[in-house]
Amino acid sequence: MTQVHATGGEVQTTEQVRRIEGRSPWVLAWERLRRDRLAMFSLGVIILIVLVALFAPVFAAITGHGPNEQYRDIGLTPQGLPVAPNSTFWFGTDDLGRDVLVRVAYGARVSLGVGVLATLLTVVIGVVVGLTAGFIGGVTDTVLARFIDVVLSFPFLLAAIALVSIIGPSLTVTIFVIGFFSWASMARIVRGQVLSVKEREYVEAARSLGAGNGRIMLIDVFPNVLAPVIVYTTLLIPVVIVIQATLSFLGLGLQPPTPDWGGMIDESRNYYQTAWWFMFFPGIALVITTLAFNLFGDGVRDAFDPRVERLMRG
Amino acid sequence: MSGAATEGPLLEAVDLEKHFPLHGAGIFNRQTASLRAVDGVSLQIQPGETLGLVGETGCGKSTLARCLTRLYDVTGGTVRFQGKDITSLSRREMRPLRREMQMIFQDPYGSLNPRRRVGSIIGDAFSIHGIEDGAGRKRRVQELMELVGLNPEHYNRFPADFSGGQRQRIGVARALALKPKLIVCDEPVSALDVSIQAQVLNLLTDLQDELNLTYLFISHDLSVVRHVSDRIAVMYLGKIVEVAPSDELFDGTRHPYTRALLSALPPADPDTADSRERIVLVGDLPSPVNPPSGCRFHPRCPKAQKDCVEVVPSLEPVLDDEPGHRTACLHPVRAGEDLSRARPAIEDTELTSVTEEGAG
Repeated sequence: MTQVHATGGEVQTTEQVRRIEGRSPWVLAWERLRRDRLAMFSLGVIILIVLVALFAPVFAAITGHGPNEQYRDIGLTPQGLPVAPNSTFWFGTDDLGRDVLVRVAYGARVSLGVGVLATLLTVVIGVVVGLTAGFIGGVTDTVLARFIDVVLSFPFLLAAIALVSIIGPSLTVTIFVIGFFSWASMARIVRGQVLSVKEREYVEAARSLGAGNGRIMLIDVFPNVLAPVIVYTTLLIPVVIVIQATLSFLGLGLQPPTPDWGGMIDESRNYYQTAWWFMFFPGIALVITTLAFNLFGDGVRDAFDPRVERLMRG
Repeated sequence: MSGAATEGPLLEAVDLEKHFPLHGAGIFNRQTASLRAVDGVSLQIQPGETLGLVGETGCGKSTLARCLTRLYDVTGGTVRFQGKDITSLSRREMRPLRREMQMIFQDPYGSLNPRRRVGSIIGDAFSIHGIEDGAGRKRRVQELMELVGLNPEHYNRFPADFSGGQRQRIGVARALALKPKLIVCDEPVSALDVSIQAQVLNLLTDLQDELNLTYLFISHDLSVVRHVSDRIAVMYLGKIVEVAPSDELFDGTRHPYTRALLSALPPADPDTADSRERIVLVGDLPSPVNPPSGCRFHPRCPKAQKDCVEVVPSLEPVLDDEPGHRTACLHPVRAGEDLSRARPAIEDTELTSVTEEGAG
């Protein structure tokens, strides 16, 4: 023991204090995640995108271009085509002479906003339904599990398109449509985890101490199904962002002139041969965002995976 | 067994039954059969004693324990605790009684919530029952940790920071927190190394003397049970086949199944090993879904006779035993009888035909 510590002699006292304190499984997972370079790089990219979204007005201020302002004089060629990237329009302009850079920055707000809100909605519904079904069991479980099956068997995009065209497109509708069709897989994951956790002896131990159902669910079951929930959440965000972009691309998301990536890609379809920047910048923004979230999600999954834990220790 | 006579049994079970319904596949799964994990068990535990409960894996020991502590709802029979019928109390009504009876679990890795600190695991008992707060609770928890031989400074550690033996001590501390009268130990040392087993067993016996505890001690290991128990009950396929004071069970064994279990124990003196009788049971433990007729042990019993297939033996003193030594056997083993040469007096065909009949 002392030999091991001899190498890092100066940290011995703080190390001892921490040893008595004990590190929670969450702290251990976070420390593993911090050693994962790719995940930390992805996290950096995500933070950068969040900053871009938050400070989108700053881009507008620097360039002096509003997101929906049309510069028909300087933003369009005499033929009425988009202008290529230059010192005034760094990412070029679109078919109406608007600044692509500013619109991409504002588009990040929509993508991240919908991504986070719809994911949150999905997680909350999924966890509540999954916990209830798994923990209560019996008829409740049977009914909820079948309902999950029904929702999962919906052809998502078709149903979403139908629903949006009936209700009419808007930001709220987009979020609720995505939430409504995505919670089922989360609920299924949570339910499966709960079914296995609730048979563990520590649940029985809590019961033999006289703990009620609510307490057992909150203190003994929920924290032990949280890890897969977190992993699935981080992997769900990019999926939701792509779905939102898809809905916008199909004209069922946000309505023009609100800038969002899916809508921009849709508008650029007729210009991709003459104005590559029009499609390229929103497209690459979408790719970088989803890739960053996916890589970060993979890192989170590895950090929680006990098999990787063993590999890193051994 | 001191001081037992005055108050009556601390815990008593009469004809206790626990059947688990088995469902067929499909959505509208109807109950197709039932697994009779505990099937008519009667026993008494006197205050201050240790009752050992032994039997093969799958014979219903743990289920019986969970029925006695009412973690499971029972199918039939009665459970009385301190003379009070607790058979059909609701979870809420059971709560005050939880302070009186606690459990120690088998798996020291599974019985502690990995996401909680040891202090809060042990302190659960106090928070659930609203006893003590903040500093007072912490002091009580640390006293308990000291009592079971843990370093109280490790209050803030997580279960993963402890070894198996230490974790079992945490489980013991949690069970002791409410100062219960009865502790049901469900294979408390089976998952531990042999060297650690002795430590935990000694801890349990020391605590019994110190705190005047009553134990129901469950194990599949007869030598462990003998070490701690005043009386021993032997369970086979959901029924108790023999119960007797420890020494009596070892010296005056009556049930062929008990004899077979005993013969499997390694002898203290290796030199005598060759001369000992060794009874090897044939076959596996029959399914509790479809238990054999008559005496449940008859398909594997070296002494089985025709009547064993038909008559269910009752648990009572046999031959000229004391009232405390009861055996459920129609043809109990006599002193000095050598079972290793005994042959069942029932035909194989007869055996199978009867069991199949029972299945239909």
